[in-house]
Amino acid sequence: MKHSDQHADRRLWIRSLLWGLLLVVCVMGIAHAEGLFRWLEPDARQVIYQRAQFYELLGRHLLVVGVAALVTILLGVGAGIAVTRKKGRDFLPLVAQLSSLGQTFPPVAVLALAVPVLGFGTLPIIMALMLYGLLPIVRNTLAGLHAVDEDIKMASRAMGMTPLQTLYQVELPLAAPVILAGIRTSVTINIATAALGATVGASNLGDPIIAGIINGNMAYVVQGALIIALLALTIDSLFEGLQGRLRQRLSSSQRLS
Amino acid sequence: MSLLDALPTPKLRRGGCPNAVLASLSIVMLAVIWGMDAVSVAPNRIVQGTGVDVLGAIGLPGALLASLLILAIGGLASQPSRTNYAAAMGVVVLLLALMPFGLMVASHFLIDPTLPQARLGIGASYWLILFILLLCLIELRLRLALTRLWPVLILTGVGLLWWLCASLWLDDLALVQEFNARDRQFIRAVGQHIVLVGVAVGISIVLGVLLAMLMRRFRRLQKSAFAMLNFLQTIPSLALFGLLLAPLAWLAANVPVLAQLGVSGIGNTPALIALVAYSLLPIVRNTYIALEQVSPDTLEAATAMGMRRGQQFWQVRLPLALPVLLEGVRITTVQAIGLTAVAALIGAGGLGTFIFQGLGQAAMDMVLLGALPILILALLVDAALGALAEALRPGGIQ
Amino acid sequence: MIELSQVSKRFGDETAVDDINLKVAKGKFCALVGTSGCGKSTTLRMINRLIERSSGDIILDGQALEAYDPVKLRRRIGYVIQSTGLFPHWTVARNIGLVPRLLKWSADDIQARVDELMALLGLPIEEFAHKYPHQLSGGQAQRVGVARALAADPDILLMDEPFGALDPITRIKLQDELASLQSRLHKTVVFVTHDMDEALKLADHLVVMRDGRIVQQGTPLALLQHPKDLFVESLLGGLERGLKQAALTRVKDHMSSLGPTLPSQYRISADFSLRQALSMMLRDHTDRLAVVDQHDVPIGELSLRKIVKEAQLEKGSMREA
Repeated sequence: MKHSDQHADRRLWIRSLLWGLLLVVCVMGIAHAEGLFRWLEPDARQVIYQRAQFYELLGRHLLVVGVAALVTILLGVGAGIAVTRKKGRDFLPLVAQLSSLGQTFPPVAVLALAVPVLGFGTLPIIMALMLYGLLPIVRNTLAGLHAVDEDIKMASRAMGMTPLQTLYQVELPLAAPVILAGIRTSVTINIATAALGATVGASNLGDPIIAGIINGNMAYVVQGALIIALLALTIDSLFEGLQGRLRQRLSSSQRLS
Repeated sequence: MSLLDALPTPKLRRGGCPNAVLASLSIVMLAVIWGMDAVSVAPNRIVQGTGVDVLGAIGLPGALLASLLILAIGGLASQPSRTNYAAAMGVVVLLLALMPFGLMVASHFLIDPTLPQARLGIGASYWLILFILLLCLIELRLRLALTRLWPVLILTGVGLLWWLCASLWLDDLALVQEFNARDRQFIRAVGQHIVLVGVAVGISIVLGVLLAMLMRRFRRLQKSAFAMLNFLQTIPSLALFGLLLAPLAWLAANVPVLAQLGVSGIGNTPALIALVAYSLLPIVRNTYIALEQVSPDTLEAATAMGMRRGQQFWQVRLPLALPVLLEGVRITTVQAIGLTAVAALIGAGGLGTFIFQGLGQAAMDMVLLGALPILILALLVDAALGALAEALRPGGIQ
Repeated sequence: MIELSQVSKRFGDETAVDDINLKVAKGKFCALVGTSGCGKSTTLRMINRLIERSSGDIILDGQALEAYDPVKLRRRIGYVIQSTGLFPHWTVARNIGLVPRLLKWSADDIQARVDELMALLGLPIEEFAHKYPHQLSGGQAQRVGVARALAADPDILLMDEPFGALDPITRIKLQDELASLQSRLHKTVVFVTHDMDEALKLADHLVVMRDGRIVQQGTPLALLQHPKDLFVESLLGGLERGLKQAALTRVKDHMSSLGPTLPSQYRISADFSLRQALSMMLRDHTDRLAVVDQHDVPIGELSLRKIVKEAQLEKGSMREA
């Protein structure tokens, strides 16, 4: 059984490697594939998006999503931990309710509402991504910590672990798969929402699509869409690999998931 | 929902510690009300408005009244009891009800009636107070252990009051002006949005349930079908819309029959295809789980009692599966409402049009005109379908 | 040495433990017995301060419980619970080594201690050290639970229905092993159970609880002979009480020396209990058994008449005392 697990694990990593490779090939190769796109859009003046290099757009996209993800993970997991401790327990019902209600807010609406408050540009995007991406992480942190067996927590206290030791050595490792799933959801949504950021003045992989739609240039649209899709698939498969790795280490995960 | 149901419900503590949540929320509200701009005034639609603080907007008496009411919430929460919580709830509702009147006072003070284009914008503190008051409402509902119906009723009442105020007396409000300028368009957009969502969800329910049943019949299908649906769900919406544009445009250009049927690269066709593609996963997953989770013991008992297969399906399997299935429909619909907004980019219409037009023209009130109804629509659908699923859950089982 | 005096615990309006007095001498095995919800687990958890008592005093080795830092206190007290509470993400070896690691022992010392404990509890190291809790049977998991509790060689061991979730055969096996461990290690044990047979078998001191109060306490034999009321008597098995008492008595304490008559053809080992002897008599339709030593050599005789008579005498003498 263990053997087949490892096998599946390796297959996951190979898959994410393949998506990543395809992403790199597209980012580097689109500029040289003029013939292909000319066939798609024979009458256009240009068929390759020129305003910025694709790797620049990819870099900016990753930066925005990365910064937002880093902050949300710290804040979200922190908040989830804080409200499940003795001192913050008062806030637990409200935070739990809010994080579940927040799933209802459409990301587009959140992004649109952020602009009047924060203005145009990259910063409002990062803020909107952070606000929105926080909720799945908080929610899953709460769910994960909540799922840790009461008896196990009691046993760790009874053995003489300090609250901090219980948190780091018992609760967080056991909740990790659920928390990671929340981070995966958050990042997936954020990659998609960041692309919409092109409409509020951020320059990223959404740009070619928006420009293509406005100018009626299908070639641009396809270029942008292809790269975003590959980026999303690469990142998502990386998370899947990470989850597989975690599940393997945490042999008990079937009890928790 | 299951997480929330599992959480310990907060108990009313007798005479015990003050409620830290409401106390901190009221402190934050006080800071917001005195520290941020309440409204903004602009001479016309495009110019960025200038901010006005609370004293300028509703004067010292108004500011003191608001602060007093906010303090009352924190004060009542410092000695928690059922009556005090109920009173705090009353204060919250009162504050919500007073908010449009504050705007009226502000427009009376600040808007020069001789300037027909002048308009009042709602400032950051107004939005934040509104948001925090809603948090207070949630917290109080939880502490008083009220059903979900209560906040819905309260907010419906408050919403009607706001709408009344807006349509009768708040002509200077930028949002209202924006609405008045294109009320026909707005109503059409709401209609389009709802129709798009409804059709997409309807198609996905039919397809999704069929697919789930096929997956139960042909087990080998299961893995690849779920992998495919997960794959689709991972692709960002903008990219999927984009990727559908090109082939559909090609089809419309080269297959005249399809073009006659209304297929084109831009518009409803790619929007519907993408919406259905996204909607399938939650529906299929929940249907599959719902049908699968019915315990074999229950089914064996049904067989043993002499139920036929058809009877088993209609009388045992379906009633037990229905709440989970509805949960899938809820997730799908809420998701589709958001995604339809993105579809406006490829010309599908709907409320997203206002968002993207507004962003293009830097007209923030127009953005709000699109974003707010989308948000409200999503919350309404979520509450309605959630309540329906709860009502259908026999005997409160999970 | 653990001493509880006038200890109470109230949860809101509910009194879970009501004014109990209890003394457990060093090296003794004390069992708390009662129906569920009688406050026995709460009493146990007040000793390692998992639950803080509402009133009363608890003295541990001559010092008030407050004098100890709760975390350090718990590292000195072993704790075993019914659901084992093993950490599912750690191997057996790491689980057992938990407290020594908390106490910052060196890696070699921890390793040596884990090996020693696994041997002590009959868990072959090569087979079990790297397994995870979910790969163990109920009995194996509870052995690991006991090993973990013993890891830092605590003087005191608290056990909360440790064998309650096991099948009867495994349970009896683990009870026997615990008894033999205790005869070697002489820990001060407080053991919570609702299984009276388990308590009678293991305890030096038996405490019967009901609705948060102690109804009766004493040696198992004393309780069997003089249950205070109907509740204690029914808990002790009602009509079966005589047999349970017989189970606590060794054959060698009641045998008479070999007489002039031929020894009976039915033989019983001197270490067996009187209950087993009675059972043999019933099975083999005899009222006399020959008692043999471990080499199967007759060393005495046991007769039904004598057992009954001595039981009468014992009861009489107890009453006078």
